Amino acid sequence: MKNHVRRLRAERGLAQAQLADAMRVSRQTINSIENDRYTPSLPLALALARYFGVTVEEMFDDQES
Amino acid sequence: MTRNRRQAITSSKWFLPLFSIGIGVVILLTSWLGGQLAVGLIALAVLTGFGLFVLLAGRSETIRGLRGDGRDERFAQIDLTATAVTGLVLIVALVVAWLVQIAQGHSGSPYGWLMAVGGLAYLLAVAFLRWRG
Repeated sequence: MKNHVRRLRAERGLAQAQLADAMRVSRQTINSIENDRYTPSLPLALALARYFGVTVEEMFDDQES
Repeated sequence: MTRNRRQAITSSKWFLPLFSIGIGVVILLTSWLGGQLAVGLIALAVLTGFGLFVLLAGRSETIRGLRGDGRDERFAQIDLTATAVTGLVLIVALVVAWLVQIAQGHSGSPYGWLMAVGGLAYLLAVAFLRWRG
């Protein structure tokens, strides 16, 4: 599933490790999400959306190819 | 034991090393009881070595995930898939071993009852997980 985590993170000048610490997951998990290799659980998706102040729909896109 | 408490124990970096050594001690005791002390000592040495390796190894995601202190939801999913693959490999190995035993005119034991235990465990797990929702 496509997502905008990388863009949102970059806009805030955060490193993957900083976001990972905030979400209490590994840096590799953030990297996998950003590269569309891992779809996060609903709790993690909600936490990411809250963290960036966007909706889950704004962050994840199941329509985009 | 609560889920949080259990999670706190298994996510400690000491859990897997101590578990490995614990299994080694159990094997040592059973080997000693069976009159094969050397086998038990070798098993304890190997498992202690593995435990120390996991404890002292670097900060790679794989090691930290196996150890427990670097485990997150993605690693839990990796662990679940790896466990399923392991189960599949064991089932195939059991079936092949059972068929070879049967073809050689043996009873198929102990492979037959091990397959039965595996099948029963799977059915009970499916029933329980479905019931739990």
